[in-house]
Formats: sequence, C-alpha cells, structure tokens
Amino acid sequence: MTSLQIQTIPSPAAPPMAEPARSALTALRRGWLHLLLVPLALLWLSPLLWILVTSLKARTEVFDPAAGFWPLALQWSNYPAALSVAPFGTYLVNSVMVTGGILIAQLVTITLAAYTFARLTFPGKNLLFTLFLLQIMFPIYATFLTNFVTVREFGILNSLPAMIVPFVASGYGTFMLRQAFRQVPTELADAARLDGCGHFGILWHVYLPLVKPTLIAFGIITVVTHWNDYMWPLLVTNSEGVRTLPIGLGLLAKSDSGADWTRLMAATVVVVSPLLLLFVIFQRRFVDSFMHAGLK
Amino acid sequence: MVFGATLRARIREAGLAYLLLLPSLLFLAAFTYWPILRSLWFSFHDVVLGDSKIIWLGLENYQRLWGDRLFWRSLGNTVFYTVLTIPLAIACALLMAVALDSKLRGMAIYRSAFFYPVMIPSVAAGMVWVFLYSAGYGPINQGLRFIGLPDTAWLYDSTWALPAIMVMSVWKYSGYFMLILLAALKLVPSDLYEAARLDGVSAWDRLIHITLPLISPTLYFVVIIGLLHSYQIFDYVYVMTHGGPADATNVLTFYIYQNGFQYQDIGYASTLANVLLLFVGGLIAVIATVFGRRVHYLGR
Repeated sequence: MTSLQIQTIPSPAAPPMAEPARSALTALRRGWLHLLLVPLALLWLSPLLWILVTSLKARTEVFDPAAGFWPLALQWSNYPAALSVAPFGTYLVNSVMVTGGILIAQLVTITLAAYTFARLTFPGKNLLFTLFLLQIMFPIYATFLTNFVTVREFGILNSLPAMIVPFVASGYGTFMLRQAFRQVPTELADAARLDGCGHFGILWHVYLPLVKPTLIAFGIITVVTHWNDYMWPLLVTNSEGVRTLPIGLGLLAKSDSGADWTRLMAATVVVVSPLLLLFVIFQRRFVDSFMHAGLK
Repeated sequence: MVFGATLRARIREAGLAYLLLLPSLLFLAAFTYWPILRSLWFSFHDVVLGDSKIIWLGLENYQRLWGDRLFWRSLGNTVFYTVLTIPLAIACALLMAVALDSKLRGMAIYRSAFFYPVMIPSVAAGMVWVFLYSAGYGPINQGLRFIGLPDTAWLYDSTWALPAIMVMSVWKYSGYFMLILLAALKLVPSDLYEAARLDGVSAWDRLIHITLPLISPTLYFVVIIGLLHSYQIFDYVYVMTHGGPADATNVLTFYIYQNGFQYQDIGYASTLANVLLLFVGGLIAVIATVFGRRVHYLGR
C-alpha cells in the first residue's frame, strides 16, 4: 500500500505571467471553472440550507407548497421545543464520554504498538503487523453480529463501555503512527538513551513530541468517525441513560416521522453543529488530516 | 560472554515487544478475529439469540441461503449499490479535485462546501434526505413540479428507492474522496502539464494521459476506501427505508441485522455475514488484480 504514504510537498509557485494575453486566457479559464463550481457547490450546500431554513419555520409552513422557501417569521422556539422532547444533555455527555474514551484508548494502544513495530525486533513481527493491517478490512459493519453476542456475554450490554471496546485497537492508527515513528532519526533516540532514558522515556520525550501532527490528524479522524457512529451504539443501547446524540436523533425521527419536521430539523442543527463549528474554526487542520491520513 | 549477553538482550527486547503489543492484540483478537472465527462456527449451527443451546446443522444454513430469494435480492442490491455508487462518487470527486487544483479564488469555500457532508452523522444525513425526497411537500418534488415533471415518491417507490439512497451517498462521500485526490494532484509535477500544453495537447487528453496515470495509486486507494465506506449503507437503509418498499433497499448488512436481531436467528445471520465478508474480500481481490497492476508509481 504505497499510496498510503502520501506526503506533503509544498505546491510549486505559479510561474510568473509575463504576457497579458496569457493571463487574460487564464482568467477566462478560471471564469469557466467558477461557472461549473458555483452551481455544484450550491447543490452540495442545499441540504444544509434546508435544514437551517426548515428549523426556523412554523410547522404548517413545511407542508404548504405555496408557502415559499423562506420562513414567514423566524420560529426560534423550535429549538427549545426540540431540546425538551428528549434528554439531549444526557446524550451529549454520553457522546463526549464514548468518543473521548475511544480516543484516549486508541492513542495509548497505537502508540505502544506503533513504537514496537517501528523500533523493536522480535520474532513474528511481520505476521503480527499483517494482522493489524487486515483489521482495516473488517469494520464493525462486518463483525457486528458476533461482537454483539460477545458484548452480551460480557454482561456490558447497554453501557458506555460496550460502545467503546470494539474500537480500542486500531490497525490503521498503528500503521499511520508507525510510518511517522520511522521517520524520526534514530540518532535522536540514541542520544536520549545515552542520557539514561529507557524505552518509555524515549517514547515520551523524543518520539511523541515529534509526531504530534500525525497524532492530531488521527485524533480528528477518530473523533469525527465515532462522534457520528450510528449502527453499533444503536445495537448495544436500549435506555435513555446511555444513548448518544445520533441515537437520540434517530429515535426522535422515528417517533414523529414526518409529523414535525421543524422540531426534527432544529434537533438536527443541534446534533450537527459541534463538529461543523469545529470544522469551520480549524478548517485547515481538518482538511489536512483527511487529505493525508483519511481512511476511516 | 558477549554472545550470551546479546541473546539475553534480544530475548528481553522480544519480551518487551509482546508486552507493548498486548493491549492491541487483546482487543484485536476479541473484537475482530474471534468474531470472524466464531461466525464461521455459528454458521454450521442453529443458534438462537439468548439461548445457550447450540445445535449442529452442518451445511443446512448454506443450503437455506442458496434457496433464499430474499438473500439473493439483498446481495443483488448490495452489488448494485456498490458498483454504481463508488465509481459515481469518485467521478464527482475527480471533477471537483481537478477543478480545484489551481490557485482559484474561493478555494476554501468550495472545498468546505464539498467536504462538510462527511462531518454530518449518517443518521442526520439520512433524515434530511427523507425530508428532501418526501412526496408532495418535499423540495425535490417541488423542484420537479416547477420544471413540469411528474412527482415521484422516491423512497416509497421500489424502482427509485435504492437509486435515491445512492444519490445521497454520492453527496455524502464525494468531498472526502475529493480531498484525497486533491492531495495527489498537488504532487503531479507542473512542468509535465506545461510541456504537454506547449505541445498542444488538449485539456481532456492531459487529464486522461497525464493526470490519471500519475494519480492512479491514489485512485486505487480511494476505490478501496469507497468499498469500506459502502458498508455504511446500513445506517441509511435503517433510517430512510428500513429495507422497504418490498425489500427494494434490503442490503446484506441490513438483512443480517433482520435475521440476527428481529428473528434472533444468529446461525443464519452468521452465514450471511460470512457471505458479506467473502463478497467484500472478493471485490478487493478483483480490484487488486485488475486495477492494482496498472497503477503507476512515479519515480519507482
């Protein structure tokens, strides 16, 4: 999988445009590009626009074809109404706990495993590494059935740990971090060893600070993936106290399917906005993470 | 003795290595490899959820599967969804990436506009599209009426329900593939384009003969990611149609869920799960042999 090792190379500077004729030609070409891109971008944005607009409409306006696109009056009251029909505060806390739990557990396991694969020699290394890599091919969607049986046997059904345990080990994270560790010059580690650092000291003081960008990239992808997870939390939870935001939203949708779109869309805005806001604020970080490391 | 010392150091290093791998291996074994082996074991048995009694059936589950019309239907739907959605999404992504691979004004805005669906939970996305597709007041039908076309019940129409979910999936994932392709396009040396342009090669030919071959490793990678992401259709089917109308959107993952959780038939559901793994594994093997060989590696 050579293609996984995409690296950042600063894009070459644009050649200087000497002749005015050529720059006019380029401008024309870019004009065409905008002509293509603007409608496409609007098309892509339209679902989001509909969510926002519908969340501010009056209930009857939605079903009235003659009502027009914009709400007659902004119904901000849809938001408190949406938040009061289900315990969204509890869902939020659960979402934070589950996503945070997975993130912390993964960072620990992949750091240890990646260091081992990058810097230690031991029998069976290649075989074990293959086992790690193969995990990428078996997402929870392929193994959910027997995993459900396992979780049930452990007696942790309908609890926060049940939503965390299948994701503690990450073959892909291990792979990503191992690649990063391998680029750290061995001289640095040797110097630290001469200064009396053990493996853990070297890992903590030399390797981890140097691979921060990779850790952040992996962290962002993990958070996006598990914050939005639906199938597995749906299967292993059956009471309000442990549900996460997506599950709560799904339940709300099911309970008043089509009856009250305004309330549902308001709830959707609430569920969707934390990540979208983070994305808008840290756009570059998010884009870079998914550009160079995005696999999940 | 020097020899003994190095041997001891080696053993100690190996011991440390296994110790450090232990947490990952434990969870990999319990939640990735054990389930796969176990589902193979289950598929030869009659297993009922919540019942500890397991009865040996031999190949009975597989015979049942062979004659199960709904299984073939769900497999067909899965194949249809996978082989159309992935190329479509990649084509869209390629279009976006090529268009954005220049110093364009508003680049960040376009990029965000295409990428934001990736950040939205599948359940929220599915729900919004239920609204967009709804009959009568749904914006898509209103738009169609506006240009004089008849209404369609989309998700309630057995012909259109699966294509409707596919369109939604293209919307959800193209931006993601676009980002990965964009990263690859940035690595294509610009002097290659320059030389081709001076030789009078048209933009289309430049795309086909320069860009595509040079980014083929990434395209290959994107196809694999697309394949792994296509599993997520479960979420959309669950939220949007629940397999209906008349099983028109019943896909393998959903059929496994129905058998395992609604009918509590873990044995048969495991049999289906094995087929799903075989299907995805087979598809990856096919792609690897057909596509993987033609991949160009720049400077390798």
